[in-house]
Amino acid sequence: MSDIYDYLGYEIPSLIVDQVDPNKMKTMAAILRDPYPVHWDKDANETLGLKGRVINQGPLNLSYIANMLMAWQGPACIKRLQARFLKPVLDGDTVIAGGKITEIIDSEESRVRAKVWLSRDNEIVLEGEAEILVKV
Amino acid sequence: MKIEHWENWLLTDCTGSAQLPSNIVHPIALFHIPIQGVGTSIAELFALGQVEGAGSVGLEGYDWEYFSLLNEDVEYRFEGQVIEVERLQTKSGGVFDRFVFTIELSTTEGNPVAKVTNSWRFWRTR
Repeated sequence: MSDIYDYLGYEIPSLIVDQVDPNKMKTMAAILRDPYPVHWDKDANETLGLKGRVINQGPLNLSYIANMLMAWQGPACIKRLQARFLKPVLDGDTVIAGGKITEIIDSEESRVRAKVWLSRDNEIVLEGEAEILVKV
Repeated sequence: MKIEHWENWLLTDCTGSAQLPSNIVHPIALFHIPIQGVGTSIAELFALGQVEGAGSVGLEGYDWEYFSLLNEDVEYRFEGQVIEVERLQTKSGGVFDRFVFTIELSTTEGNPVAKVTNSWRFWRTR
């Protein structure tokens, strides 16, 4: 786009995560040194009514939005991420990261604000805002 | 504290992303690196909140600011504090403690690199 204001209302190309992988949750738990069993012990989730499934880490859910932004504007584009976690994402779920530019924060810096979200079956499971640098 | 290549590689792989160029650390590292950087751990924070077992902890939200890129094998400094603890009740009667902490990352020269504010829920009754 030749003008920063052309970005207003622009829908960021979405990113699909096809079937969240429980093995990545296990590796993630080890990296984080996260003792919370809901991410790696399927039996631990019986009391939550989720027997046989594990819950994806919140940072991984947010990472799909970060990956969507970086795929669009490059690895240095993210300046701020704000997220609210609404629903758990489980192994085997397919989720879609999406976003839409809502505000030009600084035209000289090419800094914009986007509403971002992660959805599963058309239900929003994570929502928030991102501040990103865009190419003009 | 430094973010090592192997750790960033595995972390990035977990997200499903291709590895980032120029030893850039994946932005999602702002979850665990600051916690480790101030010398604590997720387990220690859970113990502080007196929570244990499935369903005892929930995420409310994050606010992460990036003032510059994080790179592998660069020494960073960390400083943080707990900024809010409040007991709250849900509409359905569940009780939880909101636990909010913030951690700032800077270079060894004192230049700001990032700031995270994380809000967790420590559930008392559902």
